[in-house]
Amino acid sequence: MVRRMRVQVLILVGLTLFTVFSLTPIVWALLISIREPIDAFSIPPKILVEPTFRYHVDIWLGRGFLGFFLNSAIIAAGTVLVSVPVGTLAAYALSRIQTRASRSLLMSLLVVRMFPHVLLVIPFFVMARSLEMINTYPAMIAAMVALNQPFTVWLMRSFFLEIPRELDEAAYIDGCNAWQAFWNVILPLARPGMVVTSLFSLLLAYNEFLFALVLTGTDTKTLPVAIAEYGGEDLNYWSLSAAGAIGIMLPILTFMLFFQRHLVRGLTIGAVKG
Amino acid sequence: MASTHRRSRLDRRRSLWPFVVPSALIIISVQIYPLAYALYLSFTDFYLGAASSNFIGLQNYVSLLAQDRVWSALRVTLSLVVVSILIEFVLGLLLALALYKLVRGAKLFSTLMFVPYLITPVVAALFLRWVFASRWGLADALIASMNIFPPDWLGAPSWAFVTLVVADIWQFTPFIMLILFAGLQGINPSLLEAGRIDGASGARLVWHVILPALRPQILFVLAIRLMDAFRTFDSIYVLTGGGPGTATETMTLYTYMLAFKQLEVGRASAMGVLTLLVVTGLILMVISVVYRRDKGAF
Repeated sequence: MVRRMRVQVLILVGLTLFTVFSLTPIVWALLISIREPIDAFSIPPKILVEPTFRYHVDIWLGRGFLGFFLNSAIIAAGTVLVSVPVGTLAAYALSRIQTRASRSLLMSLLVVRMFPHVLLVIPFFVMARSLEMINTYPAMIAAMVALNQPFTVWLMRSFFLEIPRELDEAAYIDGCNAWQAFWNVILPLARPGMVVTSLFSLLLAYNEFLFALVLTGTDTKTLPVAIAEYGGEDLNYWSLSAAGAIGIMLPILTFMLFFQRHLVRGLTIGAVKG
Repeated sequence: MASTHRRSRLDRRRSLWPFVVPSALIIISVQIYPLAYALYLSFTDFYLGAASSNFIGLQNYVSLLAQDRVWSALRVTLSLVVVSILIEFVLGLLLALALYKLVRGAKLFSTLMFVPYLITPVVAALFLRWVFASRWGLADALIASMNIFPPDWLGAPSWAFVTLVVADIWQFTPFIMLILFAGLQGINPSLLEAGRIDGASGARLVWHVILPALRPQILFVLAIRLMDAFRTFDSIYVLTGGGPGTATETMTLYTYMLAFKQLEVGRASAMGVLTLLVVTGLILMVISVVYRRDKGAF
């Protein structure tokens, strides 16, 4: 009994230490963002100062971050609108056809997933440049769909696999063709899966940096590119860019709270099943 | 009767193939075609701004392989990947076991520890930059307050490497932890009970019972981390930019520099193809291990 208690205490200490390690940089950034630079870096450090939110207001309203947020939102939404419907169709077929051909198709999607992004971004840039599509939404959305499609198919397929095939059979016996069986019977049941898949696609597009750095410009700049430019050495900008960084993080934290139980599935897609 | 039934089933299966077409078209036009184009570019002297380009065969590859900078990038990449993944794996496994043993509160801890993995990588890198920045960063402030002269985290070659490893650990240990924790919860408790009855406990139980049972998850996290660590761009770009000098320049970063700073698109494509070859080699190694040891784990 005593030994068990001791083990529990040891575990608690270890976990607490790592949690502190995980959260310290975030808390530090939050502190920077709500203090005047003079207070934040005075020696000895001042712990208790009047918090100010003027940098939060300034970065979003005065420095154009609201516009960058809009760009991020348009690109992420466009990505989901293309990637998820198309991926859902393919995922349904690949969950029902279980042949050698379909399995090798799924495997090749995994292979596509492992291409280095930096190799893909070069032809994208050259093509977008010759089509005069640099600094446009469609170029960036096309790139994000490319990165998302394999993941979307695998994730949606895992949801379709959970829907018993007897339901398809029943629909066929009732005289449905393949499309009707999919549209009227299976798809309504897969709707929660589509919500989860859409949110993960949204997150991937929202977080993307390399492609946004290369393909977007002044009119289409997304939040990650904008904040990377703001992270300058100049101490006077620290509070401002910390405020921006914290703001960019907030939607993701909300997402996480609501979708915690789907996280593991979203992350392990492509693992054991298949 | 039976044969017509099977027949109709086969027809239905065929009628599903059109569902795959839109997705296949997308993959072909925005993945396969660009890659083929990049491969073609790697055999040309394409330079942004030049009017035309010529086919120059393997010349890009030959001149790249003759560059010290390329070999140094390969060395940096491999050591970053190996060191980070090793530490992350050990830490992630320990944390997963701790969460598994914890009587209550596992959910709270795992949620809190998971935050760094989900936040935008650029933002995560900036958070760390404010910790490791010289003089005003949190790390320096803490160390200096103990009257120790702090190291130059981002400016000295070996410390810059350490900082990048810490950054990788900070961001990706939670991923390994979560997958292994999920795997642990899937282990049949009677298996552990049997191990205990056989007299195994503590480290022996982990080694002989738990690790073998976790093999699919372990191989999965290693394969995924290997792929992702090879193409890490955001955090290195923000934290060190490959510096000081080229001390922390990885293959990915050098490819980016070639293409978008030096505008040598042809040569950059060749560098990207070389990166792809190295990753493919490593992944094939992992997959061959999987298929030999545990058929069907993937």
